Amino acid sequence: MHKKLILLLTLLAAIVCGGTTTTLLADEASMAKVQKLIDAADAARKEAASVGGEWRDTGKMIKKAKKLLKKGDYTAAAKLANDAAKQGHLGYEQAMSQKDLKMPSYLHY
Amino acid sequence: MKKVFRTLALLALTCSIGATAQASTPEEDLKAFQDFFAKRFPNVETQDFVNGAYSIDPVGRENWEAIEEFPPYEPFIDDGMTMWETPFANGKTYKDCFPDGPAMKGKYPYWNKEKGMVITLELALNQCREANGEKPLKYKKGPINNIVSYVASESRGQVTNVEIPKDDPRALQAYENGKKFYYARRGQLNFSCSHCHLQNAGMILRTEVLSPAIGHTTHFPVYRSKWGTVGTLHRRFTGCNKQVRAKPFKAHGEEYRNLEYFLTYMSNGLPLNGPGARK
Ligand code: HEC
Repeated sequence: MHKKLILLLTLLAAIVCGGTTTTLLADEASMAKVQKLIDAADAARKEAASVGGEWRDTGKMIKKAKKLLKKGDYTAAAKLANDAAKQGHLGYEQAMSQKDLKMPSYLHY
Repeated sequence: MKKVFRTLALLALTCSIGATAQASTPEEDLKAFQDFFAKRFPNVETQDFVNGAYSIDPVGRENWEAIEEFPPYEPFIDDGMTMWETPFANGKTYKDCFPDGPAMKGKYPYWNKEKGMVITLELALNQCREANGEKPLKYKKGPINNIVSYVASESRGQVTNVEIPKDDPRALQAYENGKKFYYARRGQLNFSCSHCHLQNAGMILRTEVLSPAIGHTTHFPVYRSKWGTVGTLHRRFTGCNKQVRAKPFKAHGEEYRNLEYFLTYMSNGLPLNGPGARK
């Protein structure tokens, strides 16, 4: 009886611990992946800012993505990071497209 | 949402047709700018543009005239006068920095050759404080609005007359940068200042009549019912940038200083009537 119980507990422990290790490994991989996306988003945001083209919410989105990552919500964090990166790229392109003065045609000289 | 962006993008495309980059002098810019509004609102006296949206919105004007009977900015002027007269810790006062007295708004913004930058009234007040060992005031909210209200009120009747000195090409460059800022699209909504305050002046955005850009600088600081307090011009810039979902710039940093330089120049000839009151 006693022996059987010990065996059972050992088995259980093995399963539980083994399970945790694999999920931990998977966790680390996703975490690193999402962290990369967040870093890329922040780089895009900074590039837009360097030409005065940063959008209002990009920084907030990145902050929120970081929080979600901490909580382990990788899917949501990755999506936000990707959206923020897109904003960074668009903001940069927008500012570059406006580099030269464009006077509106309704002003008559 | 996507659809909205597509429409906006399309609008952007159509609007840019016919737009040209032209090298024009500030004098030519001023004439084209003021002519535009004279044609757009032929029944408004040029001097009346200092009243913003109320120069073109008769219903709003009635409300506003009632508000002006007991001006909500008056306590701020009183507090500002106290600030002006209260000595700093070193015994000096603002008057030591500004010997000609508080009626000085008409001198700002101006190009400072030694510093190589546009000096705004708020900046000058803070430079005075720092020179006397006081902490600078925050630029958007708080007591800066009191002292600026007092100065504005003492300066009523002065005439906007921004100069772009010809002996320093950097002054013209600052003006040009402000101008470019004004006409550049920005933010997720892809709007420039001119889209709302020139092209669409007089149209209604949500519940507000879009005010014409001419006269935009004469009445600041302004008591805004929405703010429940008086706010500076750069606070307004911040709000208008955020509205189109662009990240605002630092108050009295280079971008907004140059913007103020350009925008105030566009009101040259109009009287100063601050502080103002707005919805
Ligand atoms: C999406 C439209 C929109 C854009 C773009 C916009 N504004 Fe505004 N702005 C408004 C609205 C709405 C108000 C409040 C009603 C009014 O007075 O026009 C306002 C008010 C103002 C006022 C105060 C007017 C007064 O009488 O007190 C100033 C100054 C101003 N805007 C400057 C700017 C500048 C500079 C920019 C570009 C950085 C800009 N705006 C871009 C919509 C816009």
